[in-house]
Amino acid sequence: MEDDCRPLLSSEQTGESYSHRGSVDSLDVKVKRPFHVEPRNIVDDDPQERVSAEAAILNSRVHYYGRLTGSSDRLLSPPDHVIPRPEEIYIYSPLGTAFKVAGSDHASKNPSIVTIFAIWNTMMGTSILSIPWGIKQAGFTLGVVILIFTGLLMLYCCYIVLKSPKAISCVDTSNWEFPDVCRHYFGKFGQWSSLVFSMVSLIGAMVVYWVLMSNFLYNTGQFIYNYAHNVNVSDSEFGTNGSDKVICPYPNTDPGRNDTMNVLYLGSSGNDTSDGNSFEHYWSKTNTVPLYLITLLLPLLCFRSASFFARFTFLGTISVVYLIVLVTFKAVRLGFHLEFHWFDSTQFYVPEFRLLFPQLTGVLTLAFFIHNCIITLMKSNRHQENNVRDLSVAYLLVGMTYLYVGVLIFASFPSPPLFKDCIEPNFLDNFPTSDVMVFVARTFLLFQMITVYPLLGYLVRVQIMGQIFGNNYPSFFHVLTLNILIVGAGVLMAKFYPNIGSIIRFSGATCGLALVFVFPTLVHMISLRRQGRLSLPSALFHSFLILLGVANLIAQFFL
Amino acid sequence: MPCVYLKLEVSVFLHPWVTRLQSNQLYLYFQVLLMGKSGSGKTSMRSIIFANYIARDTRRLGATIDVEHSHVRFLGNLVLNLWDCGGQDTFMENYFTSQRDNIFRNVEVLIYVFDVESRELEKDMHYYQSCLEAILQNSPDAKVFCLVHKMDLVQEDQRDLIFKEREEDLKRLSRPLACTCFRTSIWDETLYKAWSSIVYQLIPNVQQLETNLRNFAQIIEADEVLLFERATFLVISHYQCKEQRDAHRFEKISNIIKQFKLSCSKLAASFQSMEVRNSNFAAFIDVFTSNTYVMVIMSDPSIPSAATLINIRNARKHFEKLERVDGPKHSLHMRMR
Repeated sequence: MEDDCRPLLSSEQTGESYSHRGSVDSLDVKVKRPFHVEPRNIVDDDPQERVSAEAAILNSRVHYYGRLTGSSDRLLSPPDHVIPRPEEIYIYSPLGTAFKVAGSDHASKNPSIVTIFAIWNTMMGTSILSIPWGIKQAGFTLGVVILIFTGLLMLYCCYIVLKSPKAISCVDTSNWEFPDVCRHYFGKFGQWSSLVFSMVSLIGAMVVYWVLMSNFLYNTGQFIYNYAHNVNVSDSEFGTNGSDKVICPYPNTDPGRNDTMNVLYLGSSGNDTSDGNSFEHYWSKTNTVPLYLITLLLPLLCFRSASFFARFTFLGTISVVYLIVLVTFKAVRLGFHLEFHWFDSTQFYVPEFRLLFPQLTGVLTLAFFIHNCIITLMKSNRHQENNVRDLSVAYLLVGMTYLYVGVLIFASFPSPPLFKDCIEPNFLDNFPTSDVMVFVARTFLLFQMITVYPLLGYLVRVQIMGQIFGNNYPSFFHVLTLNILIVGAGVLMAKFYPNIGSIIRFSGATCGLALVFVFPTLVHMISLRRQGRLSLPSALFHSFLILLGVANLIAQFFL
Repeated sequence: MPCVYLKLEVSVFLHPWVTRLQSNQLYLYFQVLLMGKSGSGKTSMRSIIFANYIARDTRRLGATIDVEHSHVRFLGNLVLNLWDCGGQDTFMENYFTSQRDNIFRNVEVLIYVFDVESRELEKDMHYYQSCLEAILQNSPDAKVFCLVHKMDLVQEDQRDLIFKEREEDLKRLSRPLACTCFRTSIWDETLYKAWSSIVYQLIPNVQQLETNLRNFAQIIEADEVLLFERATFLVISHYQCKEQRDAHRFEKISNIIKQFKLSCSKLAASFQSMEVRNSNFAAFIDVFTSNTYVMVIMSDPSIPSAATLINIRNARKHFEKLERVDGPKHSLHMRMR
């Protein structure tokens, strides 16, 4: 090839340098290739070395050795002890500037505040909407006490989950999550059961999401329709008068009800024109809207990768912050309506101590649940020694947020015209469709859920398909079947039993039994026993925790 | 004395170290034996120094005994042969006795690689001594080099100590042969420097080359002139007229050119020369003698390329004469009609 004998670069080209590593497919110099130039070679009067000599020569060696073997061959890969310290690693840009790699390790380390925020963000779920109802079910005083107590209990269980991989000394546990720890202690049974219970929480969350999405979509559609057609439906609902309307969608109920929608449906039915009737017919919260969602969400669930949806996690934060603002605003406008009737129930108020309190503990078990991913979240904490402190602060913040929302809604619920018993499992249902602020909240939450739903579906798919078939995406039909099952469960729930409070408490108690109470305490006790440090009080205390978990689940069925 | 085949019958059967290039010329090759226990790093070392691609399947997984004839020629008539010493002892002994003469004949250089992490020091020394015996019998004039390899696995503060210990042992064991010891690792500059020293000792009349190189550099007003060995691009000799900042520049240039040669070889092209220029400098890499490449760095950009290239061309003739005139046993060309 005659190119060999001619100079590769003509003398007119200045400021360029030799190709260091590049495409081997063509000697055509016009083909753009990535190249690396050390800054010193361009700027000749820069006396200060931006890169240490050892790092520069190692870079040269690594480039060269990489050409000598196949890309998957590790024969000439640099071992860890020859790689310069992270402070010395630079990323070159083709224009000669060098950027230091921020942070050490492939997992970037976050300061405490970021970790705390990440935990808060992950824990804040839709259960925030059910806290006022839960407090109402348990009674105000008892509810507050239970919230604090359950928060502390869950914090302790989370702490022992976080500690559990460190007690395993013989194996490298740096990549382990809690199901791996269960597998280590309990074998295949442990792995499978922790997977199954994890699935319960995920699928429970997905069903709740479907019910809520149907609810919010219905209300949003209703608001837009009413706004467009100037329909005023305020008179047909049972609620307060005035500008800050609070409604009681289902009066004539008794405690511990299981509502059946179709019988008590109070909406703007029968008062409107025939157009309204057909709109109501086509836009029904339980009959049609859940089905409309299928067309939107089922395709999204079938995507192979969920990384696109992970970008929208900020919507969750905005929703929660907006909810807090909304609650504050409503509380200010409505004022406090609290009366303390300790054990007897009056028409408007509920007793302070009620026998239905297990419903609140069930809800809180899911509200404070983060045990299946806390190890991963804490791994990126910069100062690992502060893990326990940061976890406690995060739980404190979460507890305070729940407490704030729950207490304010409960306290400001206008009891003289309405009954405290009317507080809905989704407290946004207590506000009419025409309320603008609540409409905004519903829209935010709707968008947030639409983006989180495929993420949850992806997690379920990865876990189930990965365990059963060994492949995250065995075939389109497998995935489609799984998605149809999940969506079907959601649609059925939305149609026949859209009480999110009950769904949350049942799924919370179930997965909490395994992943919060039983497995962590057993793992903790076994590891203490192996170290010979299991004392009788400790064993009794942890066994008591297991009993609490079992009682929590059983109580959901009977109370 | 190495064997020299003078008869024409040789053309029918060619000893492995004799080959025919053109109809009338027989070239005599000398061996560079690269030996060491299996897994000591010889294949990686050869790959790095000679820019050979290591294909996955040629890496042997078990301990075998094999002589790997490579076709790497360097310094004119030296051929690198890689030999794994390892595996079962009985095999070793049989092989040694039966194949010994074949393998250890015509050896110019023996490079023995020791893995510093090896737990079987006794065994390593035993193999080494067997090889030395064979060398003494068949090629007593061979130069012996010992490389204590994988030194990066030793803690930095202990490296000097451990190397000194090994060096003493090896020197003691090698008597009456004189061995030169180096400590090496593919992850620092020691490998490059060790092989550069080895090649330096193999170049005939290298001191004369260096003097002439200095004169050449001063005449053409170059900042720096490097002399590379042709196959490995190891720097044999260099002259610089002022202090250079980068102490690792020889290895870097060597790596870059070897990568470029790898790219060229994929297209069955061969690298001949290169000119790199910017507003601050001009660098010329060109073929020099039959064994060497030269790199000339000029920091006066006003000197046109043509001038430097003419200078290099004229110098080439001079240096080639130098090489031929002094030709000792290394550059034996036997012309046969």
